[in-house]
Amino acid sequence: MIQLEHVHFAYPAQGPSVQDVSFHIRKGEFVALLGANGAGKTTTVRLIDGLIRPTAGRVLIHGMDTATTSVSQRARMVGFLFQNPDRQICKNTVREEILFGLKATRGEEDESRLQARTEEILADFSFTGDEEPFSLSRGQRQRVALASVLAIEPEILILDEPTTGLDYLECCHIMDHIRRMNEEKQVTVVMVCHDMEVVLDYAQRALVMAGGKLLADGPVREIFRNNPVMELASILPPQIIGLGQRLGGAFAEEDSPAGMAGAILAAAGKGGKRDE
Amino acid sequence: MNDLFRYVPGNSVIHRLNPVTKLLLTIVICAAAFITDRIWYLGILLAIDLGIGFTAGVAKRTMSIFKGLLKIAAFLFLLQALLSRKGTPIFWIITDQGLLTAGKVVLRLIVVCMPLALVLAVTPINDLTNSLVQVLHVPYSYAFTLSTAIRFIPQFLEEMSGIMEAQTARGVAFDQARGLKKFSMILPLCAPLLISSVRRSDQTAVAAEVRGFRLRTRESGYKRFPFTALDAGAAAVCAVVLVGAIML
Repeated sequence: MIQLEHVHFAYPAQGPSVQDVSFHIRKGEFVALLGANGAGKTTTVRLIDGLIRPTAGRVLIHGMDTATTSVSQRARMVGFLFQNPDRQICKNTVREEILFGLKATRGEEDESRLQARTEEILADFSFTGDEEPFSLSRGQRQRVALASVLAIEPEILILDEPTTGLDYLECCHIMDHIRRMNEEKQVTVVMVCHDMEVVLDYAQRALVMAGGKLLADGPVREIFRNNPVMELASILPPQIIGLGQRLGGAFAEEDSPAGMAGAILAAAGKGGKRDE
Repeated sequence: MNDLFRYVPGNSVIHRLNPVTKLLLTIVICAAAFITDRIWYLGILLAIDLGIGFTAGVAKRTMSIFKGLLKIAAFLFLLQALLSRKGTPIFWIITDQGLLTAGKVVLRLIVVCMPLALVLAVTPINDLTNSLVQVLHVPYSYAFTLSTAIRFIPQFLEEMSGIMEAQTARGVAFDQARGLKKFSMILPLCAPLLISSVRRSDQTAVAAEVRGFRLRTRESGYKRFPFTALDAGAAAVCAVVLVGAIML
């Protein structure tokens, strides 16, 4: 569905941002792009959407080269949720906002159908539709932006740090909705995220980047257990992974229940020390 | 475009001038452009603009500003040449006087705009603010407003480009539209830009307040801006340019 072949990209007057990145994402996958700031994650997702074009290599969406089609034409297929929802929102009510995105991508369809779809998505997100987007909270505005993106029923959903600045509950609202779309409608999700707990909870596969290069690609839990890669990418895996690793190691050395109990206490103690 | 208002570090004669002198030079060139009615004198003023840019070692920026202004100038020239009815027709509805007036209008535009952009390329914005406060006794709040407005321009441009990118990603065909159609697409985006600008201004105001904005006076600045022999020379050039515009 998404294929990057030896992609290179450099912003003008800057060093290379992405170097020789190649990967393939299949339909229905939930992929997280991990790495420190400046690793090239946002550049990679912008390359996938075609907002920027590679200086070398190819980006293919459904076999179509992004260099040969325009971003607005692809918008029907690829939805992009930006970190800052205020860049997406431009209408006075949530209803108008959702309808605006629908008209931009599905303008050829009957108006009544688009309105029906708007009402459907409003109900889905528990909006009345008359709310003024700019007077909503940051989390609510992010939900409006997500509703607007999901209204067009994209096959691919790109999320650039979707949970930044959101509290736990707002983060769950957003991510649960995305997971539902991924599971029920097989929407392919590519997410840039700095919250490793969110990555562990929602993503199936992780791509780790550092210095513009792809360091590792694999199932999330395996990637988190790969300490050398985590260190190279300056990522601290979720605590539960570290605890699990310590317990697993301790259990392998102990046979008796008393020994295992001791190992649990020792692992918990180590975890506590690490937190300090 | 974003780099158009950014400071270019350097140690040229122009860089070393007092910021107030640079402002004076800018104002004098602008005034001379409006005073003179001679097209050749406007040409001299344009040469002075270009000379300042090249002497300051910002030739690339100077040419970039010049080329940008040429595009607007070409449109204005055409409009002026088509609308002016004075003089003898030389081709279709275009008259000799119309061409001359159009030439003066566009030269004036370029001559006036170039030093305004160049002064920001050769003066750090903080030096400009502080010199206005220390030397010209401008209240700090006014100088701060001016410098903040200038500093915000690249940020607004970046924000607008981000908004357009986000809208393109959701299907608004900015990447395919041209001219008036593109303009009509941009118009609804003024709302998010305005809202983000107001938010940003509000945040800046709060940040300034918590850092003791109101305690700042003319004496607060550490750096001093004395006038040197270079400034005297620049003042002499200003006098010549102004007298030339009035007399010739």
